[in-house]
Amino acid sequence: MNPVTEGLPDSFWGIPVPGPVALASGTCGFGLELDAMGLLEDVALVFSKAVTPEPRDGNAPPRIHDTGYGLLNSIGLANPGLDRVLSEVLPAAAGLSRPLVLNVACESVSSFGSTVAALEAGGSHAGYEVNVSCPNVEAGGMAFGVDPAAVASVTRAVRLETRRPITVKLTPNGGDMVSAAKAAEDSGADAVTVCNTFLGMKLDWRTGRPVLARGVGGYSSPALLPLVVARVWQVGRAVRIPVIASGGVWEPGDVLELLAAGASLVQVGTGLLRRPSLPSELAAGIRELLCGT
Amino acid sequence: MSSSGPVDSDARVIACIPADEGIFRIALEAPRIASACRPGQFAMLEPSPGAFPVSRRPLTFSSCDPEAGSVTFLFDVAGAGTSILSRSVEGDSVRILGPLGRGWETAPGRWLMVAGGLGIAGFPFLLSTADEAVVMAGTRTGRGTSCCPPGTVLATEDGSVGMRGLVTGLLEDVEWDSFDSIAVCGPSAMMRAVVARTPPRVLGRVQVSMESRMGCGWGVCGGCPVPSSRGGFMSCCKDGPVFRACDVDWERIS
Repeated sequence: MNPVTEGLPDSFWGIPVPGPVALASGTCGFGLELDAMGLLEDVALVFSKAVTPEPRDGNAPPRIHDTGYGLLNSIGLANPGLDRVLSEVLPAAAGLSRPLVLNVACESVSSFGSTVAALEAGGSHAGYEVNVSCPNVEAGGMAFGVDPAAVASVTRAVRLETRRPITVKLTPNGGDMVSAAKAAEDSGADAVTVCNTFLGMKLDWRTGRPVLARGVGGYSSPALLPLVVARVWQVGRAVRIPVIASGGVWEPGDVLELLAAGASLVQVGTGLLRRPSLPSELAAGIRELLCGT
Repeated sequence: MSSSGPVDSDARVIACIPADEGIFRIALEAPRIASACRPGQFAMLEPSPGAFPVSRRPLTFSSCDPEAGSVTFLFDVAGAGTSILSRSVEGDSVRILGPLGRGWETAPGRWLMVAGGLGIAGFPFLLSTADEAVVMAGTRTGRGTSCCPPGTVLATEDGSVGMRGLVTGLLEDVEWDSFDSIAVCGPSAMMRAVVARTPPRVLGRVQVSMESRMGCGWGVCGGCPVPSSRGGFMSCCKDGPVFRACDVDWERIS
């Protein structure tokens, strides 16, 4: 779709949205902090931090490094785990002013199914983002995402447990993303998220040691926008389900460019960490840009 | 935006001047933040409105003047972000998000404040709320000692100012029981050493302001974990940056 000729989306998955800007998993918690600041008004959907079956402390520090041009992170899916998400987080998030999509990460196909089955019992969340692309954990994570057959198995396992919409968050780190996207579509996904962070590393040349405790991390940066545009373009031409773009968005024009590349929704992440008011700033900027066309 | 939460706004630079070698003091006009911030809290400052560097820098409030609507910060030029910030001039605009985090639990009585390096940055603000206080500071060289409040008891590793040695050396003659509250701020290893020197009977009165790299500063990214004595991690930006010393697992502090 071209936002210049066709206008902006006003709904996604049948949910009315104020615009195309959504919040990327891992950069907004469960939306509560932003809602408390009154900053969800221009947000289409909130994609939660990853929920795992067991609580996870996350990786050893240091977990984050700003290279100047981008951000390296190695959080390691730190989260309170399924039980506390059900008993504490989802009740607290029930009054969220925008719909919540739960990001789910597991170490096995069957665990994806059972975790989503458990989450079905609680909450009024709008859907799921199936995380097969985290670069910061040993087991599971992007090991699933690089293999289309594994993407298909995970997607089917989740599909069997829920009628809520599902998007599958893909990895740019190896494998063929177009094949992985097709596998997700053929297995019942309602969208694909393109994509997670790029595997990166920073070394201190004086010591030869990595600056992040785990060594490698996920890299995000406004400089990566063309890499995301290319992948959204390629995937968008190969599947009929919507593409949710994620990565590299900094300015209003970046959102419109990703829509022009074929995205139906555009997540912001690293830019949001820097400016919690980014969604509202983007919405105002987009109105201004389209007004002039 | 709710009145109780942090405010993100463009603040006018009142002044940005060198305070010591490679150390700057920046004063910003930020009335809403100045009327809300507490000692020990911090703000995220955007060095540049452009995309470089991609994240903000966390700085603790060094002083606050609610009537003038201004706040000041003291910072080391440690990298690209603080280097850009140090070149700010009067009239520039700096985006600032704050106040953030939990500050010092202020209490009546006598305070002991122990700083390492630029850990002294936030003590003038805390000092302004204290009935009575003794301030001790340790630095590697004389650099930074001019940023210390008047009357600070000093130790330098090179002996150029005050006692030669580490700040822990200054603690040897401290009458611990004469202090109602003890505040410690500096590099992690320094704070661990100070906590190790503290007699167990007064450990409950010790608060520490932890330092960490931060991705967001407002509690969502998980980038600033502080090891908890109950296992797992706390979040430096949300649960801290000021913690009770007994809540931190010092064994896991590197």
